[in-house]
Amino acid sequence: MISLRNVSLVYPNGVHALDKVNFEIAKGEFVFLVGHSGTGKSSLLRLLYREARPSTGEITVDGIRVDRLRRRRVPALRRHLGVVFQDFKLLTDKTVWENVAFAMQVTGAHTRDVMRQVPRVLDLVGLSHKSRMYPGELSGGEQQRSAIARALVNNPKILLCDEPTGNLDPSNTSEVMELLLRINLKGTTVVVATHNQAVVDRMRRRVVRLEDGRIVTDEERGYYYLGLGQGQILSG
Amino acid sequence: MDWGKVRFFLGEVLRNFTRNASMQATAIGTVAITIVLLGLFLFVRAALAGMGAHLLDQIEISAYLANDATAAQVTSIRHLLAADPRVASADFVSKKQGLTELRDRTKGVIDTALLTENPLPDKFRIKVRVPEEVPAVAASVRRLRGVQNVVYGQTIVQRLLQLGVVLRRVGIGVIIVFLAVAGIIISNTIRLTVFARRREIAIMQLVGATNLYIRIPFICEGLLDGLAGSLLAVAILAIARATLWPKLLEALPWIQLNVTALNPGVLVAELVLVGGAVGVVASWISVGRHLRT
Repeated sequence: MISLRNVSLVYPNGVHALDKVNFEIAKGEFVFLVGHSGTGKSSLLRLLYREARPSTGEITVDGIRVDRLRRRRVPALRRHLGVVFQDFKLLTDKTVWENVAFAMQVTGAHTRDVMRQVPRVLDLVGLSHKSRMYPGELSGGEQQRSAIARALVNNPKILLCDEPTGNLDPSNTSEVMELLLRINLKGTTVVVATHNQAVVDRMRRRVVRLEDGRIVTDEERGYYYLGLGQGQILSG
Repeated sequence: MDWGKVRFFLGEVLRNFTRNASMQATAIGTVAITIVLLGLFLFVRAALAGMGAHLLDQIEISAYLANDATAAQVTSIRHLLAADPRVASADFVSKKQGLTELRDRTKGVIDTALLTENPLPDKFRIKVRVPEEVPAVAASVRRLRGVQNVVYGQTIVQRLLQLGVVLRRVGIGVIIVFLAVAGIIISNTIRLTVFARRREIAIMQLVGATNLYIRIPFICEGLLDGLAGSLLAVAILAIARATLWPKLLEALPWIQLNVTALNPGVLVAELVLVGGAVGVVASWISVGRHLRT
């Protein structure tokens, strides 16, 4: 579903954000990208939805060669992807319903489909009863669930999450992670970039660890820290 | 037809348009001022053209005859003029007729009753087909026997027409500058609304909206700015036409203002079209700039 070969990303200021990254993600996988801030997690996700282009290397997402993708073709790629951010990126002057519907409306969806699809995803994220509320009236977890609903409304095959729980307290965090798990169980490939150790350790999923723009470990059912059991925290 | 889509789209445009009301007012005002100036310019140009044509039409050569010119000489002059292909018409104006005309022309200004005798000579009033040939015709008439003096207002007419050309050029320059200014202000307005909506645009791009889809509401906004500005300008011009125009005619009776050539419907259409076009082009450019970065 996702494949990176020798992908490097050098920013114009000379910083090496990613250095010869190789890995594959299969359809239906749930993968954590972990590492300290600035180790290239977000950069890697940005390459996947073509917010950035790699300096070298090949990137394939859902059969599309993203590194070679023309600007004109980017919208088509993004319709296969859902992206979720730490800061939710909801429009504060629109209701939950309008925010979710917006993602369909601006891609030219037929109103009939909007009316059918929006209630479906709102039900999935458990916000049907709050669809008329504005983001400002919701808790952080509810806002993030709205953002996830928006990311899912176009039925993407892949959901990319960049620090989805970064702004949430622990109870909202587990709420959101459970939702992501449920979405994954329905067959959507989910990639979560995070530095939330508790989340990673509890979920026991594949963990790809980045350090200074390189993949240092890639474990099935991994922990946040390499080879450490739950509850053990390295200092420093 | 998907009315839900239409409603969503119009809602977005309207929301944009009303969100930044003071900026929109500035843009609309600038367009209005520019279009008013453009309208005035077109109007002045039409008036000048009309005046020029009128003056050219009026150019005539007065060939004053010597007091001692014989009847045979007069007849010969008449025949020669009638035979000249460059001459459109040649009318003999007697002293008496000349004085009557002078009296009519200067009525209330100069009291011609004070004249104890008629100082005017007989003359031929000659009209030439092509204004450019006036000097040549005048020169050949001057050589005729019995003609004492030849007068025509060519110099002043030439100067007036040159003045017209200069005014037109300056006017076009001024209009271009003002349209550019209006364009820049609209594009800045759009840029501000683009900036205000950058989150929205980012989300649109994120979920796979095409650039055209992102662009259209802003283009509509620019179009609305342009149209609103030009309609406002047309209203101002119409009011000016109704209130100031008669006063102007009254104050400047000696100016041959002839603007019948100006079709008001066409003028309004031109102005509104220019306003809308400036709005569309300006917003297209400023959204494009944002989308590329």
